[in-house]
Order: sequence, then C-alpha cells, then structure tokens
Amino acid sequence: MDLYSGKTALVTGATRGVGRIIAEHFLSEGASVIGFARGEPSLTAAAYHHVQVDLADPMAIQKAFLGLHKQITRLDIVVNNAAVLTSQYAMIMPPAAAQAMVNVNLLAPFIVSREAAKFMRKSKWGRIINIGSMAVSLEPIGDSVYAATKAGLSTLANVMAKEFGPMNVTCNTLGITAIESDMLSQLPRDKIDAIIAGLPVPRFATAADILNVVDFFAAEASSYVTAQTVFLGGVN
Amino acid sequence: MDRREEVLAIILSALESLNLELPEAERVKVGPTTPLFGPDATLDSLSLVSVIVDVETALTMRWDAPISLTDDRAMSREISPFDTVGTLTDYVLELLQEIAPA
Ligand SMILES: NC(=O)c1ccc[n+]([C@@H]2O[C@H](COP(=O)([O-])OP(=O)(O)OC[C@H]3O[C@@H](n4cnc5c(N)ncnc54)[C@H](OP(=O)(O)O)[C@@H]3O)[C@@H](O)[C@H]2O)c1
Repeated sequence: MDLYSGKTALVTGATRGVGRIIAEHFLSEGASVIGFARGEPSLTAAAYHHVQVDLADPMAIQKAFLGLHKQITRLDIVVNNAAVLTSQYAMIMPPAAAQAMVNVNLLAPFIVSREAAKFMRKSKWGRIINIGSMAVSLEPIGDSVYAATKAGLSTLANVMAKEFGPMNVTCNTLGITAIESDMLSQLPRDKIDAIIAGLPVPRFATAADILNVVDFFAAEASSYVTAQTVFLGGVN
Repeated sequence: MDRREEVLAIILSALESLNLELPEAERVKVGPTTPLFGPDATLDSLSLVSVIVDVETALTMRWDAPISLTDDRAMSREISPFDTVGTLTDYVLELLQEIAPA
C-alpha cells in the first residue's frame, strides 16, 4: 500500500524547489495534496488542489482555510515549507525585506499550524513538519533575520508540540542544508560552497535526504517523536 | 430560528462536543447559564480553548467570514465575554451585527 493513501497533506510553497519535491512525493505515495503559493500551480495531478495565497498576509491565510473547510473534512499532514530569504548586512537590510521574512517564515507557519490543528483535533491525528535551515546553527553573516526566523520556527514547533500533544499531533522541524533551488541561486555560489565544504558530510542535500526525514516525522510509528529538530549533513 | 437562538445552539453544541471527549465526572452542564471562565467555571483552559475553536469554526462557516472571539477587544472587556454561555451569546451577536447587520 502507498505510504500516504487516505491522507490529506498541505504543503506551503508547493510550486517550486523543496516544497514541490515534497508535494510530488506525497502525491506519488497516494496522498491528496493541497498546495499554497502566490503563483500558479506547477503540479497537475488530479489529487492536487492549488490555493493561491500570499502567506505574508495572515488574513489571507485565514480566508484560505475558510475555503478549505468547505472542501475537506480532514487534514493530516502539514509541511510549513514556504519561505523568503534576503541575505544582507544588517545595517543595510531593507526593513520591508526583514518584515517579509518574519511574516512568511515565522508568522505564516504559526497561522497555518494553528488553523491545521483545528482540523487535526477532530481526527485526533496530525503531523506538523517545519522546514528549517542550517543557517540556525551556522549563523552566516547577512542572515540575521532569516536565521532568527528559522530558529523561531523550531521554538514554535516545540511549544505547539506541548499544546497539541494531547490531540496526537506532533510538531517537528527539519533543518536542511543547501539544495538547488531559486532561493539558493540568490546566494553567491562560492559562499555556499565554502559552507558546504565545512560540514561533517560535505555535500549538498538531495531530495532523498529530505524525504527520508519527512517520511520519518510523518510516519504512524513516529507518534512519540515531537518537539525535535533534525539537521541534515551533520549540522548541529 | 432567530439569530440569538441560532448562536446559542452553536455554543451549546460546542459544549456537547466537549462533553463527548470528557470523562463522565468532568462533564459540564449544557445550558445558557453555564459558566465558561472564572471561579464558577468547571472547564479547564484547554477545554475552554476547544469550545472557542468549535464556536469560531461554526460561526465562520455559517456567516462565511473569519470570526475571532479572542481579539484584543474581547480580552480588554471589564465583563469577560467568556463568563457564561449567555455573555458569550451576547458578544457573538454584537460581532455578527458588525459583519452582517440583522
Ligand atoms: N534551497 C536551499 O538551499 C535551502 C537551504 C536551507 C533551507 N531552505 C528552506 O527550504 C524551504 C524551501 O526553500 P526553496 O529553496 O525550495 O525556496 P524557493 O525555491 O524560493 O521556493 C519557495 C516557495 O515558497 C513560495 N512562497 C514564497 N513566498 C511566498 C508567499 N509570500 N506566499 C506564498 N507562497 C510563497 C513560492 O511560491 P510563490 O513564489 O509562487 O509564492 C515557492 O513555491 C524554505 O523554508 C527555505 O528556507 C532551503
């Protein structure tokens, strides 16, 4: 039987990069998938339902969930993946870019998780998985706000793990290393290569590395695994 | 059913749902005078959150607009909207009057 048959998963930022990889994986393993992003859908599977929403706007997220309540009765897995990155020295970081990172990378996962938990409390089952970053541990120059939002994401999951634990909902964070994507291509390649060379496992992350941990967090057998952050590549 | 009766029914149904999840000894009385919050209330904080979430969801679906019962306005009131089922009904009616005047 497929890993996720009968399950409904929501993946934010499902149009590109890591979110698309995760959404495709869930679909190939039998899940129904809802994708959130501002842009048009890039997946065409029958079991894929796309919602165009700007995650920087909390009200828009609530409206998107209002729409979902009319279409679905259960939501089993949430992957808070969408994020934005502006890497810049603090003294010249545009405040609007900093605000966008706080809104999309931290506030949106909070709203999405709490709205999802309202579904999950009914079925008494849920898996909330946040996509974090090696930046939390490596604290690279230029990533003050980005790294802080990703650190906040783990804290968010850890507190929610306590609140949602009695509902059999787990909340965990996967801190990924570098993987080819539009976000990565914004950064100078020599800087990324130098960071990767310094990791215990000095290579880029693959889709399989990411999906391995996503599947672990989402598994039925992982009901006793919550409030954890797992970093790839030996980052700690 | 008039609007007050409809809102009251939504709140009472949320309490009934809560009772389904609680052990018999902890079940709450379901009626318009049931205390929800404060010294007379028998609900613990998580149970009250469950009731609020169920009521918000039902109102949001029924009136097709996001409705929050716990914004700053509710929290800063001298008499909490969450004192009893009755005060919550009044508060919801007030909110509805703004989004969908009767
Ligand atoms: N790639 C890496 O090397 C790397 C390393 C560490 C951590 N990460 C983390 O991995 C996750 C995925 O990154 P990625 O590299 O796949 O990023 P990406 O290629 O830039 O894709 C980002 C996705 O998020 C969506 N998104 C962005 N802003 C949004 C908004 N305001 N509202 C709704 N959707 C929005 C985008 O869709 P629209 O543009 O259509 O809205 C897109 O689908 C992020 O959490 C990132 O921090 C990535």
